Amino acid sequence: MDGVHDLGGREGFGPIDRAHEDAPYHTPEDARAYALSVSIRGERDYPIDWFRHVRESIDPVDYLTRPYFDQWLQTVLAMAVDAGDVALEEATGGARARTPRVPAPISAADVRAMLTTPVDFERPAPAPPAFAVGDRVRTAARGHPGHTRLPAYARGAVGAIVAHRGAHPVPDEGARGVHRAEALYTVAFARGDLFPEAAGSADRVHLDLWERYLERA
Amino acid sequence: MEPSYDREKVAAIHRHLHAHLPPEPALRVKAIESLLVEKGLVDPAALDAWIEAYTEEIGPKRGAMVVARSWVDAGFRARLLDDAAAAVAEMGFAGQASGHLKAVENTPARHNLVVCTLCSCYPFAILGMAPPWYKAAEYRARAVRDPRGVLAEFGVTLGPDVAVDVWDSTAELRYMVIPERPAGTEGLDEAALAALVTRNAMIGTDDLKGGA
Repeated sequence: MDGVHDLGGREGFGPIDRAHEDAPYHTPEDARAYALSVSIRGERDYPIDWFRHVRESIDPVDYLTRPYFDQWLQTVLAMAVDAGDVALEEATGGARARTPRVPAPISAADVRAMLTTPVDFERPAPAPPAFAVGDRVRTAARGHPGHTRLPAYARGAVGAIVAHRGAHPVPDEGARGVHRAEALYTVAFARGDLFPEAAGSADRVHLDLWERYLERA
Repeated sequence: MEPSYDREKVAAIHRHLHAHLPPEPALRVKAIESLLVEKGLVDPAALDAWIEAYTEEIGPKRGAMVVARSWVDAGFRARLLDDAAAAVAEMGFAGQASGHLKAVENTPARHNLVVCTLCSCYPFAILGMAPPWYKAAEYRARAVRDPRGVLAEFGVTLGPDVAVDVWDSTAELRYMVIPERPAGTEGLDEAALAALVTRNAMIGTDDLKGGA
């Protein structure tokens, strides 16, 4: 999706604002929005790639201007409306909330368990990896209208495989509700191969990319 | 019910929410919290548990302890660079987004910088909540294209003999930077060393050399 979320390398952005950098939460409502978002995600088990795609589908002006966790919260609410857990009229205040769900939502004990249990995204490999460390690869020249994790700035670029990370679920498929794993690689690009003004620089940019984004260069 | 996986449908829902929810963030959160509690979709005690965990227990102090140990214990450093997820679990820090953690080390010739250009992926279990600038468009846009300009704004000036390695977290891997141990700290123990390690140093926007 050629959305405004795909920010890497976009020009025109000014200095970085370091306000509030040492507080865990920017504002009290930031903390509430975070907690609500992760509670709903824990409760409904929404796929991570669908969550990301729904956030990317926020109006572009809102995406660039509303607070970060405020966007998470709007995203989980939109997901809940989409899945029928909340009626649109309830979400927009036009109707009183109807009968609560019967099963209990996640508890404080569930939260503590989630906070100490990393999610393992590695899956059994459906096929041996097509590329080996050191191989030169070229990324896809074009994107597609759905969710993807190949940023626009790294399209049609040549880099080198620096690691094979096993098979991970393909985000482009996960955002469509299809669970399919594929080899994931860390690929190093010369910064000068991505951005013309950096020609000749020894700097590198690394991305984690799925096999379908790559072809042998 | 199952998600529709229909982008146009959710974009239309977003537009409705935008039109009808209070625009002011505090009022908007309050309205949505009331609705979700009333619907039985969230338990207020769970909300407090999330907020408290990242206020008190989980934060960059964890990452600082990991870095300090890597400075004094060569065996731990080797394990951290080989499999950071296992190494931080060894210290009791396994948690959100630590399952595919990678540690990248600064050297006299290489400086590492972490970003997520597509959303704002971050190793919560090790560094806590991301600072606002990490999630902001300015950092996400510029870190891959102009890392030296970004670093200079943070007071990190690199000589021409130091190359920058940028890590854009585009999958479920998460990155933390192991900064170089500052000069003159030979006499310090692990706890004193950990106190020197800043959160920004573990993202890559500080080199612990006394910049801004």
